[in-house]
Amino acid sequence: MSIEAADGELIALLDRVASHDHAALKALYDRCSSKLFGLAVRVVSNREWAEDVLQEAFLNIWRSAADYRATLSPPMAWMGLIVRSRGLDFLRRRAAERTHVTQELDEVMEDTIAGDTPNPMDTAQASEQAWALHQCLGQLENRQREVVSLAYIRDLSHSELSEQLKLPLGTVKTWIRRGLDQLRLCMARFA
Amino acid sequence: MNLIRNPELLDRLASAHALGTLRGGARRRFEALAREQAPVRAAALIWQSRIASMNELQPPSEPSPAVWTRIDNLVQGEQQARAMQATRQAALKESAPAEGLGGWLRSLALWRGATAAGVAATVVAVVVGVNMRDQLGQQLGSQVAALQAQLQATPQIEYVAVLADDKASASMLVTFDPKSKKLTLQRVGAYQEAGDRSLQLWALPPSGGPKSLGVLGSDKVLRLTAGEGDVREVPTLAISLEPKGGVPSEGGPTGPVLFKGALIQKVL
Repeated sequence: MSIEAADGELIALLDRVASHDHAALKALYDRCSSKLFGLAVRVVSNREWAEDVLQEAFLNIWRSAADYRATLSPPMAWMGLIVRSRGLDFLRRRAAERTHVTQELDEVMEDTIAGDTPNPMDTAQASEQAWALHQCLGQLENRQREVVSLAYIRDLSHSELSEQLKLPLGTVKTWIRRGLDQLRLCMARFA
Repeated sequence: MNLIRNPELLDRLASAHALGTLRGGARRRFEALAREQAPVRAAALIWQSRIASMNELQPPSEPSPAVWTRIDNLVQGEQQARAMQATRQAALKESAPAEGLGGWLRSLALWRGATAAGVAATVVAVVVGVNMRDQLGQQLGSQVAALQAQLQATPQIEYVAVLADDKASASMLVTFDPKSKKLTLQRVGAYQEAGDRSLQLWALPPSGGPKSLGVLGSDKVLRLTAGEGDVREVPTLAISLEPKGGVPSEGGPTGPVLFKGALIQKVL
């Protein structure tokens, strides 16, 4: 199915969800839950927590689907933003509750440090813009791409990345700066 | 700084801003410029949207089937409450000309209905709670115990409710701070009762009749004192239109319910 046709179907479902059509919510869930759950896992790094995040996100979609059209975003982009925000909320709540526990290095972080994940990005159901970003990220060296992607997905600063990935601060700053420079030049071609 | 004349620097700042690595003073300065200058704002928005595409590139993974069951339970609960409200509105319209005793009986029946909706919502919440417990098992149990201990040490639970009218537009924001026992009501809609009427706030506990929490003055913000027992485990708050000065709690509300909403316990 073409991107436009797939988006068209998701938009039609969101319109029906906006008028509280329960069957449409189920259809939307069947269509998008594995993609959105994958994102939730990346944000919170734990499947149980990610399930809570997915649940909150879908209740959010149920209540605010009427706002979707005004955003002018592709449907997966809009839902992705909701999942990421709910995931970051979850991490903030958890951090506030357990300040005494030092953050353990999770699997995602370990993979990033190892730097041998070929390209974990996935373009299934991705919008045209996401496809362009995917092409551009593909040009970055593995670890550089992973650090750039973690900075966004988990909303981490240079020093948080350096601390959590056990990398020198200077290295993190250089990777991010070069990564963004390359993205800038590459994305300009798709503009 | 004239960012507009330096498109490369503008792009660099906008991309770092979107990624979230532009922090502190640099972030504040960039955001101030974006608010003032449309081209800066445009670059920021383009990069936000580009970087946000990263959300769409994560490898998919299958959630457990229980997640949909939980979502379904919660959504069904909401829908039932909405349907009940619609029925009540229709009933109000049909018998609008009847006033006096008839009106009083009608509102009593409706209040019972609203209480039943509260019970239904509680049942849903309990079912969901049980589901979750089965799933998360021991690990959650110990987390919950640790959390409870923490909460007892520093009670920081806040209760929040947004009371909306039948068109679901928010009209009243209610917050409750159990530490100071202060219930704060803030009018957010344009509704203004007539001079000879008062708005009265009610708690709808899952069992027993509605309980009056206080009568609202004409101020935008109102503070009432209430015990946590009055608020805790109350699924719904509602506001009715009453004669000036309100009515006694024991008899329950006598006028129509104007605004209603679920009370949410928020852990800060």
